[in-house]
Amino acid sequence: MNEQHPRRVVITGVGAITPLGNDWPTSWSGIVNGASGVGPITLFDASTFPSSIAAEVKDFDPAPFMPHKKHLKFANRFTTFGLAAAREAVDDAKLNPAGLDPTRFGIIIGAGQEKYNLAELAEFVQLFGQAHRVDYEALGTYGWQVANPNNLLKSQLNLTASLLAIAYGAVGLNLTVHSACASSQSIGDAFNIIRRGDLDVAISGGVDSMIDETSLTGFCLLQTLSARNDEPTRASRPFDLDRDGFVLGEGAGMMVLESLEHALARGASIRGEVLGYGSSSNAYRITDIPPAGEGAVVSMRLSLEDAGLEPEAVDYVNAHGTSTKMNDASETRALKAVFGDHADQVPASSTKSQIGHLISAAGTVELLVCLSAIEEDVLPPTINYETPDPECDLDYVPNVARPKPIEVALSNSFGFGGSNCSIIIGRYRPEGRGA
Amino acid sequence: MDNNQVFDEVRAIILEALGVDEKEVELKTRLIEELDAESLDFLDIVFRLERSFGIKIPRGEIERNARGGLSDEEFEDNGMVTPEGLEALQRVMPEVDPIYFKDGLAVRDIPRLFTVETFYNIILAKLAEQGRP
Repeated sequence: MNEQHPRRVVITGVGAITPLGNDWPTSWSGIVNGASGVGPITLFDASTFPSSIAAEVKDFDPAPFMPHKKHLKFANRFTTFGLAAAREAVDDAKLNPAGLDPTRFGIIIGAGQEKYNLAELAEFVQLFGQAHRVDYEALGTYGWQVANPNNLLKSQLNLTASLLAIAYGAVGLNLTVHSACASSQSIGDAFNIIRRGDLDVAISGGVDSMIDETSLTGFCLLQTLSARNDEPTRASRPFDLDRDGFVLGEGAGMMVLESLEHALARGASIRGEVLGYGSSSNAYRITDIPPAGEGAVVSMRLSLEDAGLEPEAVDYVNAHGTSTKMNDASETRALKAVFGDHADQVPASSTKSQIGHLISAAGTVELLVCLSAIEEDVLPPTINYETPDPECDLDYVPNVARPKPIEVALSNSFGFGGSNCSIIIGRYRPEGRGA
Repeated sequence: MDNNQVFDEVRAIILEALGVDEKEVELKTRLIEELDAESLDFLDIVFRLERSFGIKIPRGEIERNARGGLSDEEFEDNGMVTPEGLEALQRVMPEVDPIYFKDGLAVRDIPRLFTVETFYNIILAKLAEQGRP
């Protein structure tokens, strides 16, 4: 038993909406079979954008997952993904929310950022735009004409967490984090909060969709997206020499996390254990990564220390692996710094090669990949790996999945703004592991 | 626009704002008690009505009108509607079943009395003010 943390935290249910499936088993099957969820953007006409491809969620009907039909008027696309993924996770965990102590049942979510409603903006400009300035007098007098109160709520980051609390009667701590692509800090927070005894059960995960006009414009301006529009399924190619940027994805991943004691007491089936969490900031630049990946080194080392594990104990890394020139080279250097001589024996693949970058949902979905990899003793691949890059010379599990006994896996997520998040999970062993 | 068309439009807006089925919404249906409306939903309904009918319903007007011209002191006492206030309410909201206007009605519970017809009547009055049929 870990003396510093007597309470252990286990995963008892998972759910996901991804570009490869509207539940986790379908998504995982696509991932392990090397499929790609990337295609031309269909959510709006992106044909004139420098990057016009994305990994979209397909054929998704949100209505059955809303706590009440009227909530559809507030819920944006990613909130509806989150509600669906949470439903799957709760069902998978065979959790009866009504049977829980509601005050010890919480929601901790990583959520995507606020969206502009372009139709509303256009109307705003028409009514209150005066030669490129805002006509405040007109706005003060006629603002009511454009200000549907729903829109304010729709843009609140905590709406997903709020609707989940309503859906499941979760009266305990309700928290939303946003650290861009490192928003799986939600899982790390849930782990710590349950471990220290403030909650027994949490629905935790991430939700995002940035496949919209304004977000796509922003990422195109940042020049971070792949422009391989003619070959969408080959566009996301982490660690490959010819990578040219990331591909936007969307979706949600959710987990039911519980204290081990609580899970055992209700006879839950335990799918895995959260072992360690490390988080850091680059404290460097907004979008640039320090070349040696120093911040990532810190988050990985902290997660190992937290888990009481030596680097050699890690059998698989699900890399952040965005398919940008900068990330993949610097993450490779960071992995080498952390794993040392052992680095080339730790397979590190990137699921973003298949489902694109789910931004705030990426880390959670990739943690689900780690969990299924452990459960099935299989390394999921990095697809589109064709030409080695001298700067990226580790084992990225090129193109096809391969069997390997996996006890412990680490998932990396690094965000614009400099946040880094590393989470370690393992197969559940009643006797525990580590220090 | 005839009255049936007005009603159909008011009902369509309420259906959309509250996410309820058509068969649940009749003229006499109470929005909070029967359709689970919350305060935000009223703002949403008013917003949609304004847009749809091209009218303005100033915030607070519905509550003010419900007082039938009485001052605050005449209308309420310690958060409870006075007997005089109850009479005024009944006069202003003929659509509401009189059994609800009884002693012990709290001011904050007045919105619980609002029915689909309350909004329908507001729209008819606004349209009449504008000289629209």
